[in-house]
Amino acid sequence: MSDVPRMTEVADLYPFLYRQPTDPGDVLAEVTRAAREKAAGITELRRAVVAGHAAGIAACAAAMAERFAAGGRLFAFGNGGSSTDADALAATFLHPPPGARVLPAQSLTRDSAVVTALANDVGFESVFTRQLAAVGRPGDIAVGLTTSGGSANVVRALGEAARRGLLTVALAGHGGGRLAGLDVLDHLFVIPSASVHRIQEAQTTVRHVLWECVQRVLGEGR
Amino acid sequence: MTPTEAAVHHAFAAREPALNGVADQAGRLGVACRDMAARFRRGGRLITFGNGASAADASHLAVEFMHPAVVGKPALPAVALGNDTATLSGIGTREGFAEVFAHQLRALAGPDDIALGLTPDGRCRNLHRAIATAREGGLLTVVLSGGDAADAPAADHLLCAASDDPLIVAEAHMTFYHLLWELTQVFLEQYGTERIG
Repeated sequence: MSDVPRMTEVADLYPFLYRQPTDPGDVLAEVTRAAREKAAGITELRRAVVAGHAAGIAACAAAMAERFAAGGRLFAFGNGGSSTDADALAATFLHPPPGARVLPAQSLTRDSAVVTALANDVGFESVFTRQLAAVGRPGDIAVGLTTSGGSANVVRALGEAARRGLLTVALAGHGGGRLAGLDVLDHLFVIPSASVHRIQEAQTTVRHVLWECVQRVLGEGR
Repeated sequence: MTPTEAAVHHAFAAREPALNGVADQAGRLGVACRDMAARFRRGGRLITFGNGASAADASHLAVEFMHPAVVGKPALPAVALGNDTATLSGIGTREGFAEVFAHQLRALAGPDDIALGLTPDGRCRNLHRAIATAREGGLLTVVLSGGDAADAPAADHLLCAASDDPLIVAEAHMTFYHLLWELTQVFLEQYGTERIG
C-alpha cells in the first residue's frame, strides 16, 4: 500500500544509547526519560488538535448525528493499525459503554473472506470501495482512517462514498497527503505530526470525542 | 462558540490528567520492555488479547510488532487471540466465554512467550483466567488496565491508566503499547539480556 508508515529511525531518537559502551542501568534510565518525553509530546499534540479542530469536530458530530437520526449507518475502514482503529470505532458506536445509545456501525476490514476475495480478484485498492458500493446507501456515513493520507484504498473508498451521497469523514496525519487534495470530503481532520504512533493516538482521541458529541447531540434531540 | 464545540473543548481537557499520567509509569514501562526483549531473545512470541474495543487494540499491538511502523525494524512474532472468530466462537459456545483466551494459551503458548492482556477496568473474567493460565505456564505476563488497579489480575507487569472512562483508558493504552514496541526495540538492538536481566 502507499500508506507506508515512516518514522525517524529509533537510533536517531536515542543517540545516547547508540554511543557504546553504556552501562545497563543507564539504558533503563534513558528509556524511562524517553517514555516521559513522548507522553508529554502527545499531550502537546492533543492540545494542537483541539485548538485547530474543535469547531470542525463539533460540526462533524452534528452532521453524523443527523445521519444517524435519519436511519443512516456508519462504515469505517483503514489499513494495518488503522484497520483495528476502524474496528474499535465501529465497536464504540455499535456496542457503547452502558447508558449510551446503540448506533449502527460496521468496520469494512474484518471480513477476511470479502477482503481477500476483493484483493485477489479486483485489487487491494478496491477492497473498501467495492464493499461500500454493495452496502452503502445515501444517508450513510463513511469514515476513513489513514496516518499518511495516501492509502489508495481509503482515498478511493472516500471518493466513491461521496459520489453515492454518503457523509465522508477522514482522519489523516502528516500534511493530509492525497486526502488534502480530495475536495469531495465533508470533514477532514489532519493530525499535525510526522509520527505514525502519535498520529494514531491523537486520532483515537478525535474519534472518541466525535462519538461523545454524537451521543450528546442525539440526546438533545430526544 | 456552539454548545457542542464547548463540549469538544471540555472533552479534550477532561482526559488530560489521566493521559498525562502515562508519564508517571515510565519506569514501569522501561522494566516491562527490558523483560519483553529478553523473551524475544529467547525465541518467545507475543500473544495479545482483550474484549470489545480492547480486542481491536490487542490486534493493533500485535501488528506493531509483526510489521513495524519504522521501516527496517525487525518483525517480531506476535499474534492476537481475538482475530480467529471460528476458534473464539467455538470455545465460547462449548466451554464458555471465560475460557476463550485461556484455552488458546494452553494450546498455543510456550514458557518463553509473553502474554499481554488489555482491559478497560481489570474486571474481564476471560482475561483473569488467561493471565492465571499464562503464569502457570511460565509466560511473562503484562496487563494494561484502567480504573482500580486492584481489580487487575496479578501479573509480572501492570500498567494502569488512571481513569474510569473506558475511552480515555483506551487512549492511554495506545500510548503504552506504542512505547512498549519502541522501547523493546531499543533493548533488543543494543543489549544482550545477560547484561541487563
